[in-house]
Amino acid sequence: MKRVFATATTLYLLLPQLALASTVEGGTEEEKFDPSREWLLHDWVPIHLGPIDLSITKAVAYLMLGSLLTILICWFLMRWRLKTDPDRRQTVGEWIYEVAQTQIAEQGLPTKAIGRWFPYVASLALFIWVVNMVGFIPLPLSDEKVTILGVELPALGIYAATSTLSVTLTLALLTFVFTHVEGVRNNGFHGYFASWMPAGMPKLTLKWAIPLTLLYLLEVLGQFMRLVSLSVRLYANMLAGHMLILTFIGLMFVLESLYLAPFSVFFGTLFYAFEVLIVVSIQAYIFAALSAIYIGSAIEPEH
Amino acid sequence: MNLAAIVFAAAADGADAGKAIALALGIGLGALGAGVGIGNIFGSMIQAVARQPELRGELTGIQWLGFALTEAVVFYGLIGGLLAFVLV
Repeated sequence: MKRVFATATTLYLLLPQLALASTVEGGTEEEKFDPSREWLLHDWVPIHLGPIDLSITKAVAYLMLGSLLTILICWFLMRWRLKTDPDRRQTVGEWIYEVAQTQIAEQGLPTKAIGRWFPYVASLALFIWVVNMVGFIPLPLSDEKVTILGVELPALGIYAATSTLSVTLTLALLTFVFTHVEGVRNNGFHGYFASWMPAGMPKLTLKWAIPLTLLYLLEVLGQFMRLVSLSVRLYANMLAGHMLILTFIGLMFVLESLYLAPFSVFFGTLFYAFEVLIVVSIQAYIFAALSAIYIGSAIEPEH
Repeated sequence: MNLAAIVFAAAADGADAGKAIALALGIGLGALGAGVGIGNIFGSMIQAVARQPELRGELTGIQWLGFALTEAVVFYGLIGGLLAFVLV
């Protein structure tokens, strides 16, 4: 069983080579290699509601696939045929739950808020992990077409929905809005916004008005920088990972020499392994943990 | 080729050269700082575990949090460079 799985995976990963060979044979057009073309989003199913563009693009397709897979994985691991003496599948599910609880939720959230916000941060971690992971599996979801045995099929490509800034910015905006809503709900409007001021400041008198205002503006700026750093961290990590892999594989085509293949495939695989084994999980964990910390610090300000 | 020739060659293609320098400096300087920072984090982690091995479990989470926060600095540089490359 294990051997069959390994063989199937290897054959599937070899498919891009087949596609590559068929384009070389066909010798259709000489295009300049440009990795950034992978991030052009064309409307696959145009949906326009007035000024709002809801078209289904590559990123949307990957997001839909990611959400579906997240639901299926969680249902399969944590909801399906639960027993009192867990088998291996259920153990994996319980391990995921425990990591989400001890490593993510309890790191940032105060005890009274875990019941309300644990589902949010846990699903955030799982969703980002799955979407990142799907981004490293070659899938026939791309704009490039390839002809195999006379049938035109979409070429296999790697693309992560999280390497689009709008996706990560939306996720970061969720956390941003929840943070301030929870802060106001728990501390009152005045209490929450007054808690942004660092502790131990002098009283607001005429003499201190300008420095204190500047300090407060800096804190407000800091709140918005959280939004930027949260979204750009995930976006740029995934973008740079895909860009590195594509660039190293594409070096063969830029320099037009097949002798580079061992070098570029080796380094491409190395970066692929680094991204899949480390970056994907770290980024999902970081995004969820920081969301928990931000929400937790708004619920219980330190001073 | 003397220095003047290089300068004039660069000036003829000045816009693109400036963009390339912006991109390279953005990534390079960002990577410089982040490299020092990541080395610091893992060095401190090794020291901490060497002194108190029983704390390894608790420290691992903090270590990866610090790693990801520091590593992101490279990408702010990268995004800044890309912005300079694309927009200007």
